[in-house]
Amino acid sequence: MLVRDVMHQPVITIGPEASLKDADLLMWEQGVRHLPVVEDGRLLGILTDRDLRTATSELSPLPLSPQATVREVMTAPVLTADPQDPVEDAARLMRERKIGSLPVVEGKELKGIITGIDLLDALVALTGANLPSGRIEVRLANKPGELARLAQFFAAHGVNIHSVLTYPETTGVVRNVLRVDSLETRPLAEELRKKGFEVLWPPEKPWSR
Amino acid sequence: MVPVIFSEEYLRYDLGESHPFSPVRLEMLVDLLREWDSSFAPLRPRLASRQEVLSVHAERYVRRVEAASRGEEVADLADYGLSTGDTPVFAGMDEAARWLVGGALTAAEVVARGQSKVVLQLGGGLHHAQFDRASGFCVYNDLAVAIRYLLQQGVRVLYLDIDVHHGDGVQWLFYDEPRVLTLSLHESGRYLFPGSGGVTEIGQGQGVGYSWNWPLEPFTAGESYFAGLRLLYRKALEWFSPEVVLVQAGADAHYLDPLADLMLTSKTYRRVFAEILTGASRAGAAAIFTLGGGYSLDAAVRVWALLYHSLSGVEPPRQLPAAWLSRWRERSGKQLGPLLCDPDEAPPRVERKAVIERLNQANAERLLATVGKYLKP
Repeated sequence: MLVRDVMHQPVITIGPEASLKDADLLMWEQGVRHLPVVEDGRLLGILTDRDLRTATSELSPLPLSPQATVREVMTAPVLTADPQDPVEDAARLMRERKIGSLPVVEGKELKGIITGIDLLDALVALTGANLPSGRIEVRLANKPGELARLAQFFAAHGVNIHSVLTYPETTGVVRNVLRVDSLETRPLAEELRKKGFEVLWPPEKPWSR
Repeated sequence: MVPVIFSEEYLRYDLGESHPFSPVRLEMLVDLLREWDSSFAPLRPRLASRQEVLSVHAERYVRRVEAASRGEEVADLADYGLSTGDTPVFAGMDEAARWLVGGALTAAEVVARGQSKVVLQLGGGLHHAQFDRASGFCVYNDLAVAIRYLLQQGVRVLYLDIDVHHGDGVQWLFYDEPRVLTLSLHESGRYLFPGSGGVTEIGQGQGVGYSWNWPLEPFTAGESYFAGLRLLYRKALEWFSPEVVLVQAGADAHYLDPLADLMLTSKTYRRVFAEILTGASRAGAAAIFTLGGGYSLDAAVRVWALLYHSLSGVEPPRQLPAAWLSRWRERSGKQLGPLLCDPDEAPPRVERKAVIERLNQANAERLLATVGKYLKP
């Protein structure tokens, strides 16, 4: 999953000489919290709703008036992402620098913007059920060929895998959460157990008949 | 006597030898009802037309079901959820599925004409079928076609789905329709097929507030289930005042079911059926019951036999008939207990009971708080 797959476009932008009042109005109208600041098609900086509120707050030691310009308040230079970056790189940067968005820039051209909400959407898409499916969790040894063996099992049963989420648990084992195109996850789990897989979900239910 | 709708044609909806959605369940059930009462004479349904199926399904989808039904090669069946492990194609599937739709329509007609306040369609309940996609054993959505018909008669419908799987097909088909309230109780989609049915799925557009979902923790037992059902069902009746309650009475929330993880017993089911009936009657609404999922031959047949007795208002016998038992033990090769109800010691105890109950209750409250904003008078 790349940044270009989850970014938003077109981007709502503002010029550096606009007033803070205009910036505030634009944020409310468009329902956004981040405004890339653009001059002659070039990305100068970024203004967030928090920058705006902090700058104009009475709690600030030197509050600015609503007529002050965006240039006085914006953050520059600004951290950006490339459309071809993997989403996880963008996520790591945002986490490390504790920021809420990254303008997406290709060369000098502003292509889009990616925010925390877009990353949550990506998480929901990766872990959720966008298509009717059942959940199977299998613990595998952390070595080559194990996931392939699991995938082959589903292929042999004519069952489609909608999504796979794998994450390391302790050393040597990996937990795999699959969403598969089947209502019959229990019979599939029984088959997997017979083949020697460690199935964590669905659990055994010896009393069913 | 409550009208019961059934035809031998229903048995043609057969997805294959070892498929869990087996017509044998129906055969066993009808044979049991006949064994008890030799004069058992169900009402014959009519066959639904192509046009009626098109009231909820895309033509391009129906065309593919028809072609597959004739045994023609179609390249893109899988894009329509057909010819998959869950929903394989078989000769005559279009007509077989239309018989089930016809049964649901016949039931709806009986109620719409005022011939009876309660009716039992002994089959169908294919709640996963979607606008242009077969899913989870379901080809045509008989329930949705019946709802569409009732809407055309100017009737408001409360759709109550007690199958252990989320009633996604019906929900999505009426997601923006404020004249249909869908209430589905199911094992949480976090664990079980089809994955949808969270409390936050509440409808869209004009229909916001009219989709209710109560996802249940795996291994939820009868008391927690019944308490929530009563709470939500009564609120739905009070806030929505439906004229018809359409119940998809799947039996797969039973603890013996091989495909899911809830822990209901025959005792819970009897309370559930009684609650649904008295609630509808108090609200002046008619009630239509269909069958649905239920993959333990033993449990599903007994649950539906209890449903039949609840609707008829007749105290069910304690014992299953000996002749029937020996016949079906031999034919199915399954263990079948001698009693209609589950033994008192069933089901096995669950360790996380308190946590399960707390989570379920919290979800029921979240649901009411969310939809209440839109519906509360």
